[in-house]
Amino acid sequence: MDKKLGLYICSGCSISDSVDVDKLAIMAQAEYKPAVCQTHTFLCGDEGVAIIRRDVEREKVDAVVIAACSPRAKAESFSFDPLMVLERVNLREQVAWCHEAKHEDTQALAEDYIRMGLVKAGKMEPLEALPEDTISRTVLVVGGGIAGVSAALDSAAAGYDVVLVEKQPQLGGFMKGLKKAFPTRAPYTEASSDGLTSKLQAVVSNPRVKVFCSTRIVKTEGQPGMFDVTMEGASGTSVHRVGSIVMATGWQPYDAAKLGALGYGLPNVITNVELEQMAARGQITRPSDGKQAKRVLFLQCAGSREQDHLAYCSSVCCMTTLKQTEYIREQDSQAEVYVIYRDIVTPGPYEKYYRKVQDHPLNFFMKGKVTQVAAAADGRVQVSLDSELLGAPMQVTVDLVVLATGMVPNSADGPAIRALRDANAKLARNESETQCKDAEAIIAQMKPHEGTEILNLTYRQGPDLPVLQGGFPDSKFVCFPYESMRTGIYAAGAVRAPMDAALTEEDAGGAVMKAIQCIELASRGQAVHPRTGDLSYPSFNLQRCTQCKRCTEECPFGSLDEDEKGTPKFNPYRCRRCGICMGACPERIVSFKNYSVDMIASMVKAIEVPDEFEEKPRVLVLACENDAYPALDMAGQARQQYDASVRIIPLRCLGSMNIVWIADALSRGIDGVLLLGCRFGDDYECHYMRGSELANRRLENVKETLQRLQLESERIHLTQLGMDDYGRLPDIINEFAARIREIGPNPYKGF
Amino acid sequence: MGNPILVEPDTELIRDVMEAGGGDLKKCFQCATCASTCSLSPEESTFPRKQMLLAQWGLKNELLKDPAPWLCFYCGECSKSCPRQANPGETMMALRRYLTTQYDWTGLSRLMYRSAFWEIGILALVAAFVVALFTLPQSFGFGLLSRSGPLPLSNVMLDKFAPKEMVHLGDTIMAALLSLLLLANAARMFLGLTRDGNIPARLYFAQIGSLIVQGVTQMQWKNCNDSDASRNWIRHLFLVSGYATIFTLVVVFLPWFQIQDSSFHWTSILGYYSTAVLLVTTAWMVLDRIGKRTEMHRFSHLSDWLFPILLFLTAVTGILVNIFRLLNLPMPTYVTYVVHMAIAVPMLVVEVPFGKWSHLLYRPLGIFVATVKRKALESASEEAAVTGQALASNG
Repeated sequence: MDKKLGLYICSGCSISDSVDVDKLAIMAQAEYKPAVCQTHTFLCGDEGVAIIRRDVEREKVDAVVIAACSPRAKAESFSFDPLMVLERVNLREQVAWCHEAKHEDTQALAEDYIRMGLVKAGKMEPLEALPEDTISRTVLVVGGGIAGVSAALDSAAAGYDVVLVEKQPQLGGFMKGLKKAFPTRAPYTEASSDGLTSKLQAVVSNPRVKVFCSTRIVKTEGQPGMFDVTMEGASGTSVHRVGSIVMATGWQPYDAAKLGALGYGLPNVITNVELEQMAARGQITRPSDGKQAKRVLFLQCAGSREQDHLAYCSSVCCMTTLKQTEYIREQDSQAEVYVIYRDIVTPGPYEKYYRKVQDHPLNFFMKGKVTQVAAAADGRVQVSLDSELLGAPMQVTVDLVVLATGMVPNSADGPAIRALRDANAKLARNESETQCKDAEAIIAQMKPHEGTEILNLTYRQGPDLPVLQGGFPDSKFVCFPYESMRTGIYAAGAVRAPMDAALTEEDAGGAVMKAIQCIELASRGQAVHPRTGDLSYPSFNLQRCTQCKRCTEECPFGSLDEDEKGTPKFNPYRCRRCGICMGACPERIVSFKNYSVDMIASMVKAIEVPDEFEEKPRVLVLACENDAYPALDMAGQARQQYDASVRIIPLRCLGSMNIVWIADALSRGIDGVLLLGCRFGDDYECHYMRGSELANRRLENVKETLQRLQLESERIHLTQLGMDDYGRLPDIINEFAARIREIGPNPYKGF
Repeated sequence: MGNPILVEPDTELIRDVMEAGGGDLKKCFQCATCASTCSLSPEESTFPRKQMLLAQWGLKNELLKDPAPWLCFYCGECSKSCPRQANPGETMMALRRYLTTQYDWTGLSRLMYRSAFWEIGILALVAAFVVALFTLPQSFGFGLLSRSGPLPLSNVMLDKFAPKEMVHLGDTIMAALLSLLLLANAARMFLGLTRDGNIPARLYFAQIGSLIVQGVTQMQWKNCNDSDASRNWIRHLFLVSGYATIFTLVVVFLPWFQIQDSSFHWTSILGYYSTAVLLVTTAWMVLDRIGKRTEMHRFSHLSDWLFPILLFLTAVTGILVNIFRLLNLPMPTYVTYVVHMAIAVPMLVVEVPFGKWSHLLYRPLGIFVATVKRKALESASEEAAVTGQALASNG
């Protein structure tokens, strides 16, 4: 550790009103003997920054510790060589602004933070950039419908070559089969007859775009910047090197065979898709006898927003029905059209279309629930419904019923297919009877996924993207739309979420921007979101690896493949730098140059723990940098005050938490450990998708250990929160601190 | 919930209502802002949201069962608050016009509401008949009220020109006839409203008081939400008092009220009150309508103009008869008398059973039935609660 540490303490922003900055400097000088220890009243100003820069240039200092505002503030001021060791200590938002000024506990807190910062900086190494690699600047677009075609055109326009692959013989996807599309121009009262022709011509004639129809992907190997994609099709087999992938495989209609309760199966009950096809071919007639339908009833939300069918709204079925009422009226101006709905979804300018269709006296709209669809005489259909608006049951007999069914994404469930393959492999290996029985059960359950592969990734974690309930690619879509759980692969259009053509075109553009960003960041050796631009990356001391496969399994992004023995193989361009692998590894072989198990453990050990007679407990707070740390900063900005017994250490993700830190904390006499992280579960908000969930699971094991050591398990607690919960933070922290005081001091103090 | 509503949209109803003022009713998307705004709509059966939907769907039976259009006094707050400008206030007015045409068994009401030609035509026809009555010579057999003998031109001798016994008889017959027609229509209205429910007769009798009070005072109006409610109610009440006074004078007390020469009689003072009130209120109403001063006045059907204008002209000609008589100007008196009759009679014949005036019975009747239905619901739920308690305590 012969680093030349430079400690720079800022006394501005009321830090000096809260703590004695000079005393801090004296303490630091005495305990750690940094090469430089300086205070300044306005460190982020030109003069302050110049001092640091000068010290670095003159090589007086090669590791900088800035004790001032939060690391989330003034990054552009404190910007030096990105490879240099730089540690920020938060004396403002998490000391001066949220604790009692000039109180001894506040001073003690500031002292501990400076100790922790110096210790960490002492252990950090300058970053090394990833070795230079040739990064492909080609984007693979999977799917040639409106999403894929728009993505291809956008990518080409931005200067990135495209490989566009489509399994059908022609481009155009679903839009090709429509008679008309939703209104595209003000005043949004006319369905559009524009069609896709000009777009398709543009994509086919674009010199940057190579189109492969009647072609499927058989293998995708590699990582962002260097995916090797093998395709097979009408024009033979080919391998393409691409930098990132846009998944634009679109949708298919919900299977109406499951809607027998709504009358599907009766000859004159059809779906909206079937009606559209009929209309595109020519006349709309009753399927039973080819006669005109004088009365048509549209049944909205058919198989949608239901527990037993699709749980969600597909957002396009209402507009589709409105459009189709006009087809019917074109044919017969006196036709009676009934629309039975739960809600009418016509967002934005589409509202004008709704108003127009509503205005016709023979279009009848009713909010209600259809209770029965039965055959009536002469091929007619009798529909019974409970009208919510009239508070009474109604019955109407019509010639044709149209079920407005929803959209199902064309996706493959990666983990499911993997489970199926693993189970088959197990059976083939003929292991124990119970193992075989389990395998057979899995095979039976996952059978429907057989043969559904789209991307065919050679990743250990599975051949396709993990999907959410409903089949949409899993993502933390609130923060990172388009992303998937595989770095460099972005979803666009109806496979990402049900949407109409207009939104799909925008979506394609968004996904292409992410795809391009991924390529550019890879070319600089930098990470993508959430740690965009991060130059650090984990290294694996494989000598001590025991092939337990925890890192391989727990990495949310499948960055780690395995060899036959199970030794992890790291793919740096897939990595998001979260450190979940670091938290998972029981042997602690994973580390970053600026983030390691030892660094955090040392920070924990640097905390001064008063003995039990002083009655000043110490609570370690491990806060994830995505929601929890900002929330703490925001609480400080709002000048919310909370218990000064806390010592906060930011983590990249709660999932990077290694259990040894808790053990170290408790053995040092720290009375409690509070983990603050993003929410997990069905509506998760964890920015690395599985991190806080993993931390929670690992805690279960810790609780057992605690009980064995006769320590109360309540000393460890995980609280899920969002950034917007900063108002609750003082209560969360104070309540935990109060609980710890109740439980009493850690008996291991002073050991 | 009962038997399902069998949907067979009555396209004639939809067209009638849309042409009678409900032209924007298809814009309604059932947000219920109108019903929330309305201070008159009762909690258990708010309006006008549902009526907008019934009209959109042409559900005639449901509309005939619903007294709601008559509970509305057209303050127009609903129209002002409607986010789609679907004009629920005017639609309720259109429904009242439509229902008026449906209660009438003769079909004349519908004819006149849908056609200005027929409305004006029939008024003109009746006016011509009245003029003929007074002017054709006796030999034609029409001369019931024509002069028996030479027209007295030296002094006003009204009784020679229009014998008060004859006029009185005519007035009484007309009043009876028109009342019968109106009552018949009201009976149809009542049957339509009460067909479904099994409401015990005693409830009707219990609420008779409210029927009379509402009919006479139109008190409900002042509960309207808008700032003009009290003013409109009081103005209308004066109008009613003026009309009621002159009606009584002409139908019951004509032998005293119609003075045959130029002498003065105290009943004229009551007549002056009526005249003043009628002139002021009707002119005010017409001016409001011209100026589109409030929501209620933004749209005017022909029937909305004819009614106050005819009433105004009746009052004008009536006071002129009085003035000419007092000034002892025979010919002007006689001529004005005929003109007065030729305006008043057609007005009454067309308006009372077939036109806008019918609301004098339809509205209180609607309020009455709505009140009875509410009481029936209340006592039904009370009974249910009592039964429930009894069962619970027994069980």
